This record gives sequence, C-alpha cells and structure tokens, in this order.
Amino acid sequence: MYAYIVRRLLMLVPVLFGVSIFIFVIMRIVPGDVAMTILGTDATPESLKQLREDFGLNLPIYQQYFEWMAGVLTGDFGESMRTGKEVLPDILTRFKLTFELTLISAVLSWIIAIPLGIIAAIKRNTKTDFGVRLISLLGVSVPNFALATVLILILALFFSYSPPVGYVGFFEDPATNLQIMILPSIVLGTAMAGAVMRMTRSSILEILRQDFIRTIRAKGARERVVIFQHALRNAMIPILTIIGMQIGTLLGGTVIIEQIFSLPGLGQLVLTAITQRDFTVVQGAVLFIAFVFVLINLLVDLLYSYLDPRITYK
Amino acid sequence: MSPLLEIKDLSIDLYADSEKFNVINNINLTIEKKQKYGIVGESGSGKSLTSLSIMNLLPDALAISGGEILFNGDTDLTNLSKKEFLKIRGNEISMIFQEPMTALDPLYPIEHQIMEVLKFHGSYSKKQMRQLAVEMLEKVGIPRPQQLIKEYPHQLSGGMRQRIMIAIALICNPRLLIADEPTTALDVTIQAQILDLMNELTDNYDTSILMITHDLGVIAETCERVAVMYSGEVVEEAAVTTLFKNPTHPYTVGLLESVKSLGDKSNKLYSIPGNVPTPKQLTGGCRFASRCPHAMEICRSQAPPLFSIDADHKSKCWLYGEEEVVNG
Ligand SMILES: Nc1ncnc2c1ncn2[C@@H]1O[C@H](COP(=O)(O)OP(=O)(O)O)[C@@H](O)[C@H]1O
Ligand code: SF4
Ligand SMILES: [Mg+2]
Repeated sequence: MYAYIVRRLLMLVPVLFGVSIFIFVIMRIVPGDVAMTILGTDATPESLKQLREDFGLNLPIYQQYFEWMAGVLTGDFGESMRTGKEVLPDILTRFKLTFELTLISAVLSWIIAIPLGIIAAIKRNTKTDFGVRLISLLGVSVPNFALATVLILILALFFSYSPPVGYVGFFEDPATNLQIMILPSIVLGTAMAGAVMRMTRSSILEILRQDFIRTIRAKGARERVVIFQHALRNAMIPILTIIGMQIGTLLGGTVIIEQIFSLPGLGQLVLTAITQRDFTVVQGAVLFIAFVFVLINLLVDLLYSYLDPRITYK
Repeated sequence: MSPLLEIKDLSIDLYADSEKFNVINNINLTIEKKQKYGIVGESGSGKSLTSLSIMNLLPDALAISGGEILFNGDTDLTNLSKKEFLKIRGNEISMIFQEPMTALDPLYPIEHQIMEVLKFHGSYSKKQMRQLAVEMLEKVGIPRPQQLIKEYPHQLSGGMRQRIMIAIALICNPRLLIADEPTTALDVTIQAQILDLMNELTDNYDTSILMITHDLGVIAETCERVAVMYSGEVVEEAAVTTLFKNPTHPYTVGLLESVKSLGDKSNKLYSIPGNVPTPKQLTGGCRFASRCPHAMEICRSQAPPLFSIDADHKSKCWLYGEEEVVNG
C-alpha cells in the first residue's frame, strides 16, 4: 500500500514534466506577448525589444524553459511579469478560495443528490422518480453562468441583493465568508448534483438487481438495511468515480463563476494572466492545477480500495 | 399433524408490455415436516418462481394471482405483511441459490454476512454471534473458521462460498430450507460433497428441504418425494422411487430417457425435441402437446387435469384419464 502511494507519487514527476513543457510551448505559440500587453499597440519596436530582453524573452526557448524549471525545482516559481509579485504565494492564496468553493459546492451537491438519487431508485417509474430525474436533467443542462445570472437578478430584484465584493477567509470571519461563498457554491453545486443524482439512481438500481441483494432479503433484512448497508455501499464505487472527476474539473473550472461573482480565486488569476500574457503566472498556475488534479486522482483510487476489498494496490 | 408447507392452487402472472401472461398455473405441493421434497424440470419451467413466491421475493414484474401457501398449517404466506415476513425469512424459511459466486455481498467479510442473520432474528452480543458463526462454519466443514471468517467472498472458491451460504441459511435453525439449484454451478466432485452436507445437516436439525433442480440425479440422491414441473405446471407428482420405476407423464419419461442416454455407450444423447414454450407462446390445451410423442386430438384443445395413478401418484396427462373425460 505505502509502496503503491510512493510509486504513484513518483509517477507525478513525468506527468508534471510533460505538462510544464506543454504549457510553456503553448504560451509561446499564441500570438502576442507580455511586452505588447504592457506597452500597448502604439509602443515603439525599440521599447518592445528592450522589455523583452528584460524578461529574457529574447533567449532561445529551451534556455528560457531551463531557467524557469531550475527555479520551479527549488520552489521558486518566479515573479509575475505584470505585477512583480511572487507567483507561488499568490497561487496558494487564491487556491484557498477555489478549494473552499469546490468543497462547499461538492458537499452541498452530495447532501442533495445522494438522498434524492436513492429515493428515485426506490420509487422508480413513479411521479417522484420522474420529478427527481427532471430536476437532475435541469441541473446538468442549465449552464452555470445562466443560473448564476438568473439567481443574482432575482435576488437583486426582490431582496436588493448585490454580490459581495472581495473575499474574506473562512478562518478570519466565517459568517462573512459563508455569505460570500454560498451563492456561487449553490450555482456550482447544482450542476454537480444533477450528475451525482443520476449516477446514484442508476447504480442503486443496478445493484438492487444483483443476486446478493436477493440473498440479503432472504435473510430477513429490513429494506433500510438492504438499501443503506448493502445497495448504497456498493453503489458508492461508481458514485465516487463521478465525484472525483467533478472535483478535478471544478478545481480548474471555476473560472466563469469566479468572474461572475468577482471572487479572487485561482480561475480568475489564470484568466487575467492569460489575457495579459503573463507567462510566469499562467505556467505556474497550470502546473499547480495539474499537480492537484493528479493528487485528487490518487486520493480517489485510495478511497476505492478502502471501499472495495477486491481492489488492492501493491 | 398439519404439513409444514402446503401450496394450494398457486398461480403467478407476469405483467409485461401492459399485458398479463400466466407463468405458474394452479400448482399444488405438500411438504411434510422433515421431508426432503424435490422439484425437477427443464430450465424455464417455473421452479425458481415457485420457490421465490414462497419467500415473497418474486421479481417486480411478477405477482401471485391466486391460491395460498400455508406454512405450519395456518399461516398463509401470500397474506403476510412485509413486517411479518421479515420474521419468516432467514429464520423459519431460508434459501440458498444457484450462483455462489454472486450471492454474497462483495464488500463485507464472511463474518458480517453470517452474523447479520443472527442480528436480524435474535439479540446476541457481538461475541456470542461470532462464536455461533465460527461453530456454524465448523459444521459446514470449513477449515480454519477463525481465520476464514475475516476473509471476503472473492477470496474463496465456489464450493466454499456455497458452504457459507448453507451456514447462513441454517444458522437460525429454520423449519424449511429451499435450495434452488445449489450445486449446478459447482464442479462435479464438489457437488456431491455439498449435497451430502445438506442432507446431513438438515437431518440433524429436523429441517425440511425443498430441493429445486433440473438434474434427476440430484433428486435421486436427496429427495423422498418429487414434483415434475413443465411450463409452469406440476405435470407429475410421486415418491421418488415410484417416479423412477414407473414414470407416467410423457415429459417425465423423456427426462428419464435423457438421463439414461448419458450413460449410454452408443453416445447418442437423447433430449426431448423442442423447447419449453415461453409464457407468451401458450395456447389452450396440454402445454407439452407440441413436444409430446403421444399427443392426441383432445390434448391440443383441452388441458388435462391432474389424474390419480394411485393414491400417492398423480399425472397431468390425458393418457391416464379417458374414463373421467367420458364421465365428466
Ligand atoms: N424476472 C422475470 N421477468 C419476466 N419473466 C420471468 C422472470 N423470471 C422468470 N420469468 C419467466 O418465468 C418462467 C419460469 O422461470 P423460472 O421460474 O426462472 O424457471 P426455472 O427456475 O424452472 O428455470 C420462464 O418462462 C421465464 O421466462
Ligand atoms: S396430455 Fe396429451 S400431449 Fe399432454 S402429455 Fe399427455 S399425451 Fe402428451
Ligand atoms: Mg431456476
């Protein structure tokens, strides 16, 4: 088991190496660079050249890469080309927000989706089931930004709500923090909930058809025991897969929501950095997101083996 | 003394494509206390549905449409509330199934799956339950039960799992053990061991067996009485020795032929031509008529009743009842 974890962590190295080369090259292929965005369209060629030299952008690309990598390997992700701020601390601060947003949305969606999915499965093909399936269909198909806009509009119209500006950490001021986070979390959670609900319903139905459920009923188990101790536990394995995938995408995909709710999260950082061609920030953030993504995958795999004795890692 | 289980005029219908099809038609069975009773018939003849209806575990699309199932003389199982049934299942009547590989929950250790039954039907401490589980595993011939009890189903062979199913089924000392093809999925050598084990244990516990199988060999080895089922009906019912010596129904004769031809040197495997009609294919008349070498005119138009060959032997075939027809 520990050997397995170590091996998986070692496998991180080539993956992150690949990601780093990929993002580095992409950033240099897209037209425009940071010098142009800083100096604007009416900059003289001389001043552009000067600025590029200051950033080392005139060097051969492999040399730029090695210099950047040398820094990254010692924990120095460099400085933002626009603000001069150190990249890594900025990423970590903003990641706290994105992570919290993801976590609250996820938990919110499970609280709603798993019970509803179970109810739909038990009451399959009844009005309740169709109702739940309709909700989940809406959840997955209504785009986040649309839901967010409608929610903000409604709240603004009827409760004269305006989205709070700025961000306060949970440990600084929990009440204000939750006030800021709740709306974006609901928006993100709805989409997740739709998918989790569907998966819960279909996997429970699938499990309920299996032979061992008949055995458990034949033993004299109450329906509660059949559903919660046996069907749900077995269904958790496919549900976990979809949850893992969603958390992964959310961590890198809260861009739009952070934009709408003006939350200074990781998504917003990357978006701004891309439009400004702030190479060091984009590279650092993408590398970091890839790292978190791989870690979450590892965590999900470890959870599998915790849930299912048939899965063992050596 | 009333019999342990009496199935009276039981019918089961299948609801599909917003239509109703008959799957089990008016069957009657009586299982005495401590008796070993068999149901034999080809696949699709309705054996499993009959046994599941006793446990009220029929699949969703199927429902009992008539008749009663009397347990212990007075309890009608077709009329029991869900809650009352919980006390019967696993406790008074238990069941083992054909597929030992899929019949246990893959996520729980053996220990949990045995102790669970005790938890449903008694109030024991954890320690007592573990003790009882280990003792039961010893009785079903499992080596090193103390260690094995911690293992998971996927770590065990099919034969071992079937022994565990037997342990689960018998640990509450039920009055009736229903075994639906318990050895069909197992190796031939293991089959005999499992049958012996079931015979021995049910003798010790005074438990009756309802043995369900497509294999007349299994019937010969374990049962005292037998019902032959075909297409949802009991077509012949007799003591096992009588049935083997003096089979009357053309379907039973066909089944016995096919068993005999297994040991035949000529190597020509006899099997009854044709297939069991599906519920949707049924027309009036004798359900075996399309495959019967003796089919007569009356067979296609009118279903035969169950005629008495003698006091203890019944057969659902016009060959044995012409007089009654003339009279009735
Ligand atoms: N879940 C089900 N849905 C629809 N039809 C079924 C179902 N189970 C059994 N049947 C039908 O009922 C008949 C009897 O099946 P079964 O009792 O399983 O036969 P056996 O156990 O003798 O092989 C078959 O014709 C089969 O097609
Ligand atoms: S009733 Fe007729 S068709 Fe049916 S088994 Fe007897 S002889 Fe054959
Ligand atoms: Mg069957």
